[in-house]
Amino acid sequence: MSSVAAQERRRRATVAPAQSPATSGRRPRLSRKHREWLAAGLFLAPDVLGLLVFVAIPMVLSIGLSFFQVSGFGSYEWIGLGNYRRMVNDPLFWDSMKITGLYVVFLVPLLFCVSLGLGLLVKQKLPGVGVYRTMLFMPYVISLVVVGVLWKFLLDEQTGVVNRAMRAAGFDGESWLGSPSLALGCVIAVMVWVMMGYYMIIFLAGLQEIPQEFYEAAKLDGAGPWTTFRTITWPLLRPTSFFVLLMSTVAAITGGLDLIFVLTNGGPANGTSLAIFYIYQQAFGFGEYGYASAMGSFLVLIMVLISAVLFTFTRGGRFDDGE
Amino acid sequence: MASDALTNRAHTTATAAGRRRLLSPRAGLTALAVVLSLISLFPVLWMVTSSFKTRATVTDGRLIPRDFTFQNFVYVFTEVPFGRYLWNSFFISTVITVAALFFHSMAAYALARLRFPGREKLFGAIFATLLVTAPVVLIPLFLVARQLGLLDSYAGLIIPAIFNAFGIFLLRQFYLGLPKELEEAAVIDGCGHWRVYWNIVLPMSRPILSALAIFFFLANWNAFVWPLVATSDQDLTVVQLGISSFQTQYTSNWNYILAAATVAALPMLALFFVFQRQIVESIKTSGLK
Amino acid sequence: MLQHGTEAGRPTTSPGTSRRRFLTAVAGAGSAVAAPALLTGCGTARAKGGNLQFWNFYGPQRSPDPAVNAQAKWFVDMVDRWNATHKARIDLVYLPQPTYLNGFKLPSAFATGEGPDIFLLSPGDFLRYYNGGVLADLTPHMEKAAIDDFGSALDSRMVDGKVYALPMEIEPLAMFYAQDVWEKAGLSEADIPTTWDQMLDIGDKLRTKTRAGLVFETRPGYYQNFTWYPWMWQGGGEVLDEHGDVAFDSKATRQALGLWQDAVRHGIAPRTLPAAADVVGGFKGGNVAMWQQGIWNVSSFKAFAPKYRYGVFKLPTPPGGRYVTALGGWSFCANAQGRNPEAAAEFCVWALGSMRDESINRMVEWCVGTKSDVAPRDSALERGSAKGGYDSAIMKQFKDEIFPGGRGEPRYPPVVYKAISDAIQGTMLAGHDVASDAERAARSIAAYTKSYKGASLI
Repeated sequence: MSSVAAQERRRRATVAPAQSPATSGRRPRLSRKHREWLAAGLFLAPDVLGLLVFVAIPMVLSIGLSFFQVSGFGSYEWIGLGNYRRMVNDPLFWDSMKITGLYVVFLVPLLFCVSLGLGLLVKQKLPGVGVYRTMLFMPYVISLVVVGVLWKFLLDEQTGVVNRAMRAAGFDGESWLGSPSLALGCVIAVMVWVMMGYYMIIFLAGLQEIPQEFYEAAKLDGAGPWTTFRTITWPLLRPTSFFVLLMSTVAAITGGLDLIFVLTNGGPANGTSLAIFYIYQQAFGFGEYGYASAMGSFLVLIMVLISAVLFTFTRGGRFDDGE
Repeated sequence: MASDALTNRAHTTATAAGRRRLLSPRAGLTALAVVLSLISLFPVLWMVTSSFKTRATVTDGRLIPRDFTFQNFVYVFTEVPFGRYLWNSFFISTVITVAALFFHSMAAYALARLRFPGREKLFGAIFATLLVTAPVVLIPLFLVARQLGLLDSYAGLIIPAIFNAFGIFLLRQFYLGLPKELEEAAVIDGCGHWRVYWNIVLPMSRPILSALAIFFFLANWNAFVWPLVATSDQDLTVVQLGISSFQTQYTSNWNYILAAATVAALPMLALFFVFQRQIVESIKTSGLK
Repeated sequence: MLQHGTEAGRPTTSPGTSRRRFLTAVAGAGSAVAAPALLTGCGTARAKGGNLQFWNFYGPQRSPDPAVNAQAKWFVDMVDRWNATHKARIDLVYLPQPTYLNGFKLPSAFATGEGPDIFLLSPGDFLRYYNGGVLADLTPHMEKAAIDDFGSALDSRMVDGKVYALPMEIEPLAMFYAQDVWEKAGLSEADIPTTWDQMLDIGDKLRTKTRAGLVFETRPGYYQNFTWYPWMWQGGGEVLDEHGDVAFDSKATRQALGLWQDAVRHGIAPRTLPAAADVVGGFKGGNVAMWQQGIWNVSSFKAFAPKYRYGVFKLPTPPGGRYVTALGGWSFCANAQGRNPEAAAEFCVWALGSMRDESINRMVEWCVGTKSDVAPRDSALERGSAKGGYDSAIMKQFKDEIFPGGRGEPRYPPVVYKAISDAIQGTMLAGHDVASDAERAARSIAAYTKSYKGASLI
């Protein structure tokens, strides 16, 4: 039997090359269209499977879990909307949402302005501009854990260099991480420091896309820098701006867990207990997986809404350009 | 680097005197750029120089150490298995990067070039997974990983981290922009889709792949939350986890902590200085399309 | 375990069903089938063979601290000895203390059926684990005499007269102070404060820009609550009274919250811990005058700063108050759903709770040899004293003055812990009104206890 198969294979090997271009349509194998489908399926299989197992299923599961009371020791009780009711009535959850709100409201615009400013700055043909870009971007490559450790050192109440400098300047020094509002401010400032280089580059790319002729025309018209910015740069930069807003908002809502862990651990007085941190604490600290899943699902919903709103605007921005 | 910038600045001011009207705003901007860069650089610089200080002088508030010592680094590598942590992070990040680039480029190629029913819908679905950010699904992901027997293993650190829609999205954009002629010629020559991909598409995507490679490597080297949740075996500790528990254990031994932090940050800083342009390019692609 | 499966299939009648087509679809497909199946995990832990796993935060490890190395060795020696003499072998698994304490490692391991067979448990976590049904009953393995030997140290580890955890140590809290700072300010032994006001005054006197006058724990967590309870107890305050009813909103509670708030508000106590929480480092570096701390620091001082001059004194009391301090300390537990609960329980008793010399001496070695603690068994305390373990002035003070007024750390579950923690944090560091935060905490504790099902909270 095997020899027959081998013969067959040999026959094909000798015949096929000569035949294939001409007779491929006639062969009883897959048509070209179907072969393309098959190839696409195979090409996509690993990623689609992976995304399904490690992203989509967990998301569905998270929604599913949110209807259960989970003891953390292997017992699961269906409680319908119980977790969602609990969420609505949990003042701590709404406190954490409020802090998340504050965090987003301060961080996103601040980050936006700083990185846009930096982008405009490093777009100039200044001497040594490459060096500035490098230095401004550098914090971004450092992990949030190291960033947290580093700033804990710099912001230490007694020995930190920040307070040392303040005392040298005749001030008292602050307990940066010891009062809720200051600590939240510190987290925001550190985040700006980390992320500004990243968004600076994105803005820079957006700025470089704007045709130089526009600026030259404006110059001929005698427009000052502010007028140029307002009439040319800002409108033409709109797609980039919306992209930055979207990215930084989503990142602000769901990211930063690493930094919070190391720098403040949610304290003081829950002052830096962002929603994502509270969810994590409920799940892994207290074993409340069901409740945490309910809050997590709610957070995803909020993000979908925000993204939908911002996406609508992004499209608007793009269509405006065309005119 | 700082002194470089400073000389530049001095130079600018000197020439500015000559053509004051033309150059003075530029000089102002340069000065601003220098100041901002120094502010940005300062904390990192402080970390690095402090890691060469002794326990007694680490909080002395000076930038340049008075008693220069390497002892902290020796300590970090001998008393704590930091070498092991670094190797774990390196190994994991490398495997994730290679696998992710391979899978994502295949998927992206199919999405950009091959025709099959439901292509746009599939792309939309993949794109939608971008909204499901990791921390939110941490709990069920943990359960899935456990069910697949992935907890406390390299596989558990690697496999779930490979799949993210961002890479697929960027690569698809790139492939949409490639000229079709070469592939078409190859197809006419009787090449299968695999050979077209392997022999033509992959070599052409070298620039974006190298840019993304650095980006992926960076992201995974810096990953903290998933390794924290997925491992408890000390031999699997990645460098970020190592730093965070080192920090809580050594509390006020800032000289050791900062040395460890420097060791964790250094590979990324080095990578950044070498591959600056690729990193910047990859970010630009992500922002524009 | 799967009873919810049938419930999930049943049409729900809860309000809000109407607007949930999407949700029911997901719930039906996703949760009713996938979630429980995935979660219960078909008893993998039980099916899995192999050695018993003993999770702890002491060893095996290497540390720059000789005391920590000695503690690691105590664990390693104990397990080696067991393995040499018993059939069921044990693996010692070390987790760094921060991971173990503030972490999720233990909870997430249990949640997925991968919990360790033997583990260390703090009183604050006792009820959650007991109610979760994972604590094995140790009583059948223990002699009556041994249970009596532990005495009241077992109170917070028992339910209905059965022992579920064996304490390895008792750790009282006291006030540590820097003698140099004390003397330089012209103070003597006679000035040691016995009232809150005296304590605040001295703290105010001793503080400088870089030295904290008086340090209370600032970081939120079980530990902070633990260090705060004595101040509440001293005025007669309780979280729950003897009937298990909420008693948190009381004058004593407000007074204790007020003490910490005043200390911080007037700058006597810092908002963040000096020297990044390093007690010995903080004292040696001159950054602290007084610090409310536990007995375990005695061995750290001995190891790191044997020449450093420090003293301890009993926690001062409020007007009309009665001296109380809190007693901490960890215990050994056996997992009732582990690989071999019988052997795990037997190990715990063999290690700490048998009447054999080996067991008692092991505890002596731990409490006066490798660590500096009060031994939870009378016999071990006697032997430790005879060995000279409490001869040093400080240890003697701990044993004879500080410990006798002690009260074990309560075993409140997470919701109660969190409510109290939020009140402490809010008043101390966010300047919230003491009365309203106490009231808010009392309300959420009451809401919880009303629906609580499980072993007695007190």
